[in-house]
Amino acid sequence: MKLVRLTGLLMALLLVNATSAIAQDVVIRNATVLTVTGGTLENTDVLITGGIISEIGKGLRTPRGTEEVDATGKFVMPGIIDAHSHIALSSVNEGSSPVTAEVSMEDVVNPYQIGIYRASAGGVTTSHLMHGSANVIGGQNETVKHRWGSSDPNDLRFEGAPRTIKFALGENPTRVHGRRGTGGTGAIVPATRMGVEQVLRNAFEHGKRYMEAWDAYDAELASNPRAVPPVWNERMEVMADIIRGEVLVHCHSYRADEIVMLTRVLKDYGVDKITFQHANEAFKVAPELAAYGAHASVFSDWWSYKFEVYYSTAYNTAILIRNGVITSINSDSGELNRHLYHEAAKTQRYGNLEDDEALATITINPAIQLGIQDRVGSIEIGKDGDIAIFEGHPLSVYAVPEMTFVDGVKVFDRAADPDDVRLEVDPEGAIGQYEGQITSRDHFHDQNEVIDFLEAFGDLEDVITETTHN
Amino acid sequence: MTLLLNLVLAVLMLLPQQQDQKARQGTYAITNARIETVANGTIENGTVVIEGDRIIAVGANVAIPAGAEVIDGTGLQLYPGMIDSGTNLGLNEVGSVDETNDTNEIGDITPHMSALTAVNPNSVAIPVTRVSGVTTVVSESAGGLLPGTAAVINLYGYTAEQMTAGSEMLILNFPQEPSGAAQGWGPQRSAQERKKGYEDAIAKLDEVFDRAELYDRIMTAYAASPAGKAEPVYAPEMDAIRPVLSGDRTLMLKVNAEGDILKAIDWVKERELPNVVFSGVSEGWRVADKLAEAGIACMVGPVLATPTRSSDRYDKAYANAGLLSQAGVKVAIRSGETENVRNLPFNAGFAAAYGMGQEEALKAVTLNAAEVLGISDDYGSIEVGKKANMFISTGDPFEPSTQILALFIDGFNVPMESRHIDLYREFLNRDEGRLQPMEVLPADN
Amino acid sequence: MSEATAIRGARIVQAPGRVIESGTIVIRNGVIESVGRRVDIPYDARIIDGDSLTVYAGFIDALTNVGVPESDDDNPTGSVPDRSNPTFERAGIAPQKDVRMHLDASDKSVASHRQRGFTAALAAPRGRMLPGQTSLVLLTGDKASDMVLPGTRPVLFEFEGAQGVYPGTPMGMMAQFRQLYREADRRMGVQAMYDANPSGLSRPPYDEVHAAFFSVIEGDTPIISFTSDALELRRALSLSDELGFNLMAAGLNQGFDVMDELMSRGIPTIVTLDIPDRPDWAAKADQDSLDQVLASYNDDTRTATFRDIEAEKRNLEAKQLVARTEFLTMPARFAEAGIPFAFTTYGLSVNVMRRNMMEYIANGLSEDDALSALTVDAAAILGLSNVMGSLDAGKMANLVVTDGNYFDKDSKVTIVFVDGNQHLTGDCSGSGCSDKFSWGN
Repeated sequence: MKLVRLTGLLMALLLVNATSAIAQDVVIRNATVLTVTGGTLENTDVLITGGIISEIGKGLRTPRGTEEVDATGKFVMPGIIDAHSHIALSSVNEGSSPVTAEVSMEDVVNPYQIGIYRASAGGVTTSHLMHGSANVIGGQNETVKHRWGSSDPNDLRFEGAPRTIKFALGENPTRVHGRRGTGGTGAIVPATRMGVEQVLRNAFEHGKRYMEAWDAYDAELASNPRAVPPVWNERMEVMADIIRGEVLVHCHSYRADEIVMLTRVLKDYGVDKITFQHANEAFKVAPELAAYGAHASVFSDWWSYKFEVYYSTAYNTAILIRNGVITSINSDSGELNRHLYHEAAKTQRYGNLEDDEALATITINPAIQLGIQDRVGSIEIGKDGDIAIFEGHPLSVYAVPEMTFVDGVKVFDRAADPDDVRLEVDPEGAIGQYEGQITSRDHFHDQNEVIDFLEAFGDLEDVITETTHN
Repeated sequence: MTLLLNLVLAVLMLLPQQQDQKARQGTYAITNARIETVANGTIENGTVVIEGDRIIAVGANVAIPAGAEVIDGTGLQLYPGMIDSGTNLGLNEVGSVDETNDTNEIGDITPHMSALTAVNPNSVAIPVTRVSGVTTVVSESAGGLLPGTAAVINLYGYTAEQMTAGSEMLILNFPQEPSGAAQGWGPQRSAQERKKGYEDAIAKLDEVFDRAELYDRIMTAYAASPAGKAEPVYAPEMDAIRPVLSGDRTLMLKVNAEGDILKAIDWVKERELPNVVFSGVSEGWRVADKLAEAGIACMVGPVLATPTRSSDRYDKAYANAGLLSQAGVKVAIRSGETENVRNLPFNAGFAAAYGMGQEEALKAVTLNAAEVLGISDDYGSIEVGKKANMFISTGDPFEPSTQILALFIDGFNVPMESRHIDLYREFLNRDEGRLQPMEVLPADN
Repeated sequence: MSEATAIRGARIVQAPGRVIESGTIVIRNGVIESVGRRVDIPYDARIIDGDSLTVYAGFIDALTNVGVPESDDDNPTGSVPDRSNPTFERAGIAPQKDVRMHLDASDKSVASHRQRGFTAALAAPRGRMLPGQTSLVLLTGDKASDMVLPGTRPVLFEFEGAQGVYPGTPMGMMAQFRQLYREADRRMGVQAMYDANPSGLSRPPYDEVHAAFFSVIEGDTPIISFTSDALELRRALSLSDELGFNLMAAGLNQGFDVMDELMSRGIPTIVTLDIPDRPDWAAKADQDSLDQVLASYNDDTRTATFRDIEAEKRNLEAKQLVARTEFLTMPARFAEAGIPFAFTTYGLSVNVMRRNMMEYIANGLSEDDALSALTVDAAAILGLSNVMGSLDAGKMANLVVTDGNYFDKDSKVTIVFVDGNQHLTGDCSGSGCSDKFSWGN
């Protein structure tokens, strides 16, 4: 009957692109393997068993049933890790308050968003999905793998990845909260970089006292069953976790002075792990960052779109790395994340980084910054089978990504994949419509994030003035 | 190659004179270089001689004039200065600071607004751009139906006159038919409102051009015999459009969507406009045959962009320029950038990798671009008689690992300086040579 | 006048699968006195000739704003001194709001609903994220208290963000929900301690908003979520998993992507009657040509150059039809899997109710399963099985009378009985009823 035939077709729709969440066995043969941490191996096989890299060598013998991939003449590198992304999210900025540590991107991961596939078509296997930069203390971020094909956001979760949280300094939070007064509501602190520091200190101090109050309660409870627990506060719970070292701080920042300011505040609260995101002026305080053990995750060459990045340089990455600061290159863009291998290559023009140094900025370095370096970021036995295969060396502009694997599961195949990989299709809208493009002119963090917030808050007039500079 | 690079950089960095060097014209001979002429193939080991603002000799065996400054190009390559057919360079210094944005004047119909006037020759982004080998750009005004003109400028000079490399083009933002796709940011209008807005825009476009045609007849008649005639009203907008009608001025028609491109082709044909190029053309591949048939040249890009439809193949934007070229359309590549026009060669590299091929992609940022801009008598290739716009590199300028070592614009040997390079020099070893180390973090109180 | 009414010689559908081709039903004092093939008609009963009529159990709308007029308070906007810290009311957080205080029996929506055959509903208050507590109601009476039925009063939750203030986004709302729930939990514990023995303890803080969560935390009151897409549904499910409250899931647009999760949790399921419109290109196409398009779908289409554009267009149409079919076959798939569900018109004009249901039926849902969703399964989900959902002696006299098979597109609802009150949709005297009322589109 009708139902039976239709059911068959329905299965075809979703499952054709669905990748099994179960890890797989695959051997990639005879490639130039760029391990990043262990040199370059010619004519080498990489065997992935149960989703984990189990062997690396020449002419490997493999169990029956292992998928064979002939990579003769091709280059194999670790799956690329993007430490700053806003793809695959239903919402980016809860911009109504300068401190929103309680919200989490985990709640709004959107597995349908096509950017997940398109980035994997550029070799990306892991992305750090971040809260936007509207707030001084934004929400918690979510590290995901590019497991395209599932409708369940939980399937994308990078199991065991450390918790991280987004901070933001400078023009964005001061504009959103202090210098606009959107939707008829009043302006609130911060309007200046002075205010930003005070918002941070205020949140940390209250977090510390909250933590102490609960510790005191727990201690008292042992001897006094009538102890009264302190008022529950989701926000302060997270601040306390940051102080306890359980949540890694990633801070959107640009100016050298605000970067150093944050290190002062973190030092006062005993927080020693910090990655500065964007950090266009980090190069001006590279020695200070190196001394603190701080990391940086930067653009290859974006500058001048705001005043706080007017005095920056594309040599930022090279200067930081030469001064001993672990630096990654990120995209903060649904366009740029498709060619991060090319962004990393720019460090060879702007600062003469060696091949492995350049590749490290998109593999092992961001892995360290996200606390997942035991699992990903290089091709080593025991690490996850997250691999990208290229025609041509990835640092060449002529490189063409051909296949990408996550946990040994092929998520991108240039030859085999159909054109239209959408997982959800609007059942009633017009088809075949021009939708516009994201280009490198669309600075996600600058335009879309603030707009996202303003749109949610009904202040579309401001949105229009916001967009004209692009 | 690394050793050579380090040597070159050491030289660049250690010579203080380099930093104060001024651009000079003179007589130069670049010898023993691999010359990519673009128009006449590759000369593996050749010499180029520049005198004043022109190339006076190119070849494998060329006599070097006495007194020429010789630059030894052994192991290096020489290319024509690259041309970006679509930017806002010099018109907007800092994106988010409105006071620095001169692209968009009030009014929907402002064809007389001249971008060339507003370009800031001292924009920090200009040196940042030219050290990548991009010597010439189109810089566009924006906003509204007829936002103004686009300037064609070389990236060296202190006044608009010194920078001008070609004639100003008139920009038309061809009305965009409302698509069924979700609206972008901004106030949400109903389908009806959007349809009306589109029909109004088309009507306004036709009205403006009708008036321009009338104005043209009036001005022609007046010029033929002014005696006894009332002076025509002052109509700078009409003056700006008039040369487009005769073809003396190029009309740069910005259009992207498939349906809009087809409408634009028909509109141009109906109006019998003889000198039109399309810019943007992101869905051009869908109607490449029609564009080829109409003989309309296209400035395509940015290449580094996402596909225009969520149902499109992931690499469609990379492949677009190549698909157009293969269908017989003359293609120049544009970056669409303001402060990162230096990424033009990388846009071309991706176009090459995804179907265009290196040779065509190089032409798209040199000779083809020059032809589309009407400046190929002077620019776009290394040929005797052309202006001396070229650069010396350690390799393929599309490759990120290549270093650009020297630059010529109109025969001026422009120093390889920019704020980015200055900051690199200052901060690579910030505290070197300091007697006392600076305090790393404030001491605990 | 008589207190008893009998419909004699009608086709009586007591419940799906229990049909009396020609029978009699007697109602008295708001209760079904008797129903069967041959039933004694009381001497004092008013008799309606049931020839050519069909009688069903009154329909139940499992979530709706019926009887709740709109008001300016529903969508709070307007400036506040500090948007990061608005009042609960301004943020749309009012779980304590009782819909029973806002019912208006004379609101046009009551008659509108009734004319489609609805006799009872779960009425929802209007608002944003936490609009308040719902209530079971009968669609009859002159005043609100006539309408109210005792029973479960689930707390409504939607992902409708606060306008211009915290929390505006889905992740903000999730965090705010957790905050309210956990703090309410803490207060319950502290309050219990205090009540047992206040000596030495500060008075615990109290407000209605947190207090409204107490019975939810205790498991006595469920949360009913209305979600508009698969991701919203997943968010509601994850809150329920995390915090442990009972959840009823209403709406379920795009629910076909979450079917396994719903089924494995045994969550009461309420399906929206909102279906996608036909896309413009298919608006006038007949079913056969659409079936052909559907069958032509090729999931590996490649559009390399301009030569492939035509084929691309046809395939995009096909893929869209496949997607549309997923939406339309969802209730059929629930039925096939043996999952009982109810229907809701929440957020819709009740006009489209039957047309959309017929579309579900055209896509695999049986008429019996559709009827179950409107009657016996809805009653079970709302805890009303004792008193409604089928035409059995002893149950409430909620009846829908039509002039033919309800699922026949030309048939009309002629009389509706709610709690024994007769509501005419057309002029009904003697045998047959004139059909003044016609289905909305």
